[in-house]
Amino acid sequence: MTLASHLRRYGTLLGFAAMVVFFALNLPDTFLTARNLLNVTQQVSMLAVVAFTMTVVMAMGDFDLSVGAMASLAGVVAATLFVAGWPVGLAIAAALGAGVLAGLLNGVLVSVLGILPFVATLGTMTVFGGLAFVVSDGRTIFGRDIPASFSGFARSALEAGDLRIPALTLVAVAVLAVIWVVLEQTPYGRRLYAIGGNIEAARLAGTRVVKLRLLAFCFTGLGAAIAGLMYASRVASANPTQGDGLMLDAIACVFLGMTMSEEGEPRVLGTLLGVLLLGLLDNGLTQMNVDSYIREVLVGTIIILAVASGRLGVFSRR
Amino acid sequence: MNVKSILIGAASMVLATAATAQERVAVITPYLAQPGTQFYIDGFEAAAEGRGWEVNVIDTAGDIAAVISRIEDAVTQNVDAIVINVDPAQVEAGLAMAADAGIPVVGMDAGMSPYVATNVTSNGYAMAAETAAYVVNRLNGQGNVVMFVFDPFPPVQIRGVIADAIFANTPDIEVIARVTPDVQDGGIADSRAQMEALLAANPEPGSISAVWAAWDQPALGALQAVEDAGRAGEGIVIVGMDANPQARDAIAAGGNFEASMAQDFEGIGAAAAEAVARLVSGETITAPVTYVPTRLITSANVAD
Repeated sequence: MTLASHLRRYGTLLGFAAMVVFFALNLPDTFLTARNLLNVTQQVSMLAVVAFTMTVVMAMGDFDLSVGAMASLAGVVAATLFVAGWPVGLAIAAALGAGVLAGLLNGVLVSVLGILPFVATLGTMTVFGGLAFVVSDGRTIFGRDIPASFSGFARSALEAGDLRIPALTLVAVAVLAVIWVVLEQTPYGRRLYAIGGNIEAARLAGTRVVKLRLLAFCFTGLGAAIAGLMYASRVASANPTQGDGLMLDAIACVFLGMTMSEEGEPRVLGTLLGVLLLGLLDNGLTQMNVDSYIREVLVGTIIILAVASGRLGVFSRR
Repeated sequence: MNVKSILIGAASMVLATAATAQERVAVITPYLAQPGTQFYIDGFEAAAEGRGWEVNVIDTAGDIAAVISRIEDAVTQNVDAIVINVDPAQVEAGLAMAADAGIPVVGMDAGMSPYVATNVTSNGYAMAAETAAYVVNRLNGQGNVVMFVFDPFPPVQIRGVIADAIFANTPDIEVIARVTPDVQDGGIADSRAQMEALLAANPEPGSISAVWAAWDQPALGALQAVEDAGRAGEGIVIVGMDANPQARDAIAAGGNFEASMAQDFEGIGAAAAEAVARLVSGETITAPVTYVPTRLITSANVAD
């Protein structure tokens, strides 16, 4: 392998390592501590769940722009049902159900009707966002309307010796495990990548493309709903736009992960590194008193650099 | 250049900006882009500069969960104090961590919470008393008043309660309508429609003497209705609250819209810095809320 091809595959990883070393040197007492790192895993847990499940649709070469709106919708659905006096478990189940239904709608539009994912999910993003306003009446639901058992979940943790592993982190790890098994260890996952490689070839090879894509969008909808509930639990409230910011960051994480995989495919472990990169960057920059707007510039620059380093190999082959 | 060298280059630039200082204070808000918030920050930063503090202003662009994350980071960084400009109930997870670490938290127009040493804000009760008293005095204690209120929103509800009390305490003032406008469109349009209906129902000149609004938008809607009905010359006194730019223009124009209340946003920032200074020096602040004086705005001082 040439230097360029090494850089293509490992550029992002090197950048990641350089960032960790940089923060570790500048924040020697606080950055590489178990407590801080566990804290970061909690901070990125919602983004992680959305990004992991986004990886499923992106493996097929599809997109889902509606994940943020679905997350917001799931949060307000649960909170509205809390207000209506539903038991916590039932309200959560209903919110997750709403996510699956929303994902199913995306799946039908993309896979059955054949609308481009960008267009279809741009449309449903607006629809779900609007529904979140309708359900919540545009208000933030908070205070006594949110049961303590629900908001307490995000503050709970598994005590392991001196360490507290946050409950939200455990949820993200569970979702990671499920998505990893589905994508890497099952025929279903391999077929998704086959669709992503060449949808016509996959179809001709007898892959039931329509059904597989439908199911993939359901995964993403369910993931978005889980993340929306995690968010609502963490802020002990729900408003109709609170999950919206998750969408672009999730796509960015999958892209960052793609630059680390051999074939440039979305792999869920690569996505995990993308999520951790963004999370550690936020954490380190805050601790170093860096302006929040500089952080935005850095994140964008890093994504472009990561993708650019992935193109190096292409240039050297020309 | 590869990713690594660029990262290090960018990072070293960043490092150059991180100075060493004594007291470190993190100011965390999701609302920096909203008008008003910047004034709090300006007031705070000016006061902090005088004290030689190192202030880190963190904006999360509307993301409340990220506010929790940044509070956690500030605690990890072991800052000396944290200032928040967000409902404390929504970021309790982060505030609990600050409390565990013994780091004081000051609210800047944030809301009351056991985790917030003091919340610095304007006194809504006092603001309502000033404009309601202004109306009573202008009418010489006699006339019919239309009120625009919004009881579902607590900070506005308390304004209405005070105005109710002042009008009820004046025997010859009668509140002929207590309107809750639809605020979906910002509150001006529906307030105007409601005022038009009230003007139609009270056609006699002098049958409506004043409009007391709990915030500026309904006052502006009422002003439009009065002017369009050709009744601007009847001497109907209109007062609002918050003194937004549109209200100031109306007051400066010298028409029926006579008064509003201005909050001192920079003063709130400065008072928050004062509270931080007291907490950092080991004092305890007993008042859960610290009020910063507000000012009645009329044609006499609107140009200031």
